[in-house]
Amino acid sequence: MSFEPKILGIACNWCTYTGADLAGTTRLQYPQNIRVVRVMCSSRINPSFIFRAFQLGADGVLVGGCHPGDCHYNTGNLYARRRLAVAKKILEFVGMEPGRFRVEWISASEGNKFAEVVTEFTAQIQSLGPQTKFKIQP
Amino acid sequence: MSIDFRKIEDNLKKEARRLLEAQKVSLVLAYGKGFDENHPMPFVARNVSDVDCIVFNEYCSANLARYLVRYPRGTKIAVAVKAADSRTVVQLIQEDKVKREDLVILGIPVYGMKDPKTGEVIDNKTTCGLYNPVLYDVLLGEEVHGQPVLSPYDVLAEYEAMDQDARWAFWQKEFERCIRCYACRKACPMCYCDPCFIDQNKPRWGEKSPELPGNLMFHLTRFHHLAGRCIDCGECSRACPMDIPLYLFHKKIAKECEEMFGQAAGMKIEDKPVLINFRMEDSDKILE
Repeated sequence: MSFEPKILGIACNWCTYTGADLAGTTRLQYPQNIRVVRVMCSSRINPSFIFRAFQLGADGVLVGGCHPGDCHYNTGNLYARRRLAVAKKILEFVGMEPGRFRVEWISASEGNKFAEVVTEFTAQIQSLGPQTKFKIQP
Repeated sequence: MSIDFRKIEDNLKKEARRLLEAQKVSLVLAYGKGFDENHPMPFVARNVSDVDCIVFNEYCSANLARYLVRYPRGTKIAVAVKAADSRTVVQLIQEDKVKREDLVILGIPVYGMKDPKTGEVIDNKTTCGLYNPVLYDVLLGEEVHGQPVLSPYDVLAEYEAMDQDARWAFWQKEFERCIRCYACRKACPMCYCDPCFIDQNKPRWGEKSPELPGNLMFHLTRFHHLAGRCIDCGECSRACPMDIPLYLFHKKIAKECEEMFGQAAGMKIEDKPVLINFRMEDSDKILE
């Protein structure tokens, strides 16, 4: 059986989640490996969510937010950008594969981009294989 | 030129006495005698009679700015600071934990401090590599000039060159040894959250038993909380009973923050900590 990765998608309510909705209503196909969690803004994302997701068995984490400058709350994603960049550096320095964590800016009208990003990211995680470093072994 | 510790101690006593007598401050944070010469302890002088107990020698490595946040806001405090400690004070002022006008900062320009545990000299490897305080009201001694200027980030080269699996093996080994005594958190001048995220039960961010998953969660999140705020005093590593080189990770994150956002922690009062600030021009490259 081929490896089916578990991917946690954290999507902002106003852009990426609506974009995912659009991808759905326009019947675009994308891999079902992603589990989307909706948050009100990308700056809602505590970096611990990401570490915790890896510990609880996620093979990859995809964070989606509005394009910088388009945030519903004006500045949320600009804070998030800095915060997530630091989280990424931490994961990198501790020895996690950097490809397992990705941040994308996807607007509400970019259903296509959402489908593309998820397809591409799933393929990337599939090539990286199961994530074993952080995962808590039962 | 070598540092005259005797003279600094005398100056410290003189200043402490002057401030307490004039009732300019209600307490002076300085170093006092421990169980022997090599183990001085943080000491709070509240009365003129306490001043005689103040000592200063090369083992006074503790960061006294740690204790500033323990007193109610508005308490007038005089604090003895070395270079890294003065950056702590600046950072705490930036974060509005203490007010500049409540503090009398007694700067101590110094080098060649020693770790009380190992007796090794604390250099740019485990601390920020500065010799002179960045902010002070009174300088207790002469400014240090002519000492080699060393980058605090040199020590990282060895670890950055490792491939990611070797790095993982290294950190896994280090974090597995953690006994979760939280001495790093207790010693850290920037760790003042109450309650700490790891002590919360709802949500429970990580396991509390001293095993790798919980340790990893605690330390990685702590590194993130200190990103752009860590002033590289090295107290976490000196406090660690298991000798985990936490300073390495803090240095790495400090370096990345400095490269990405162009600002080192605790250098100017007017700065804003990097993670509660942003610029429209921040590049998306930082996410790659």
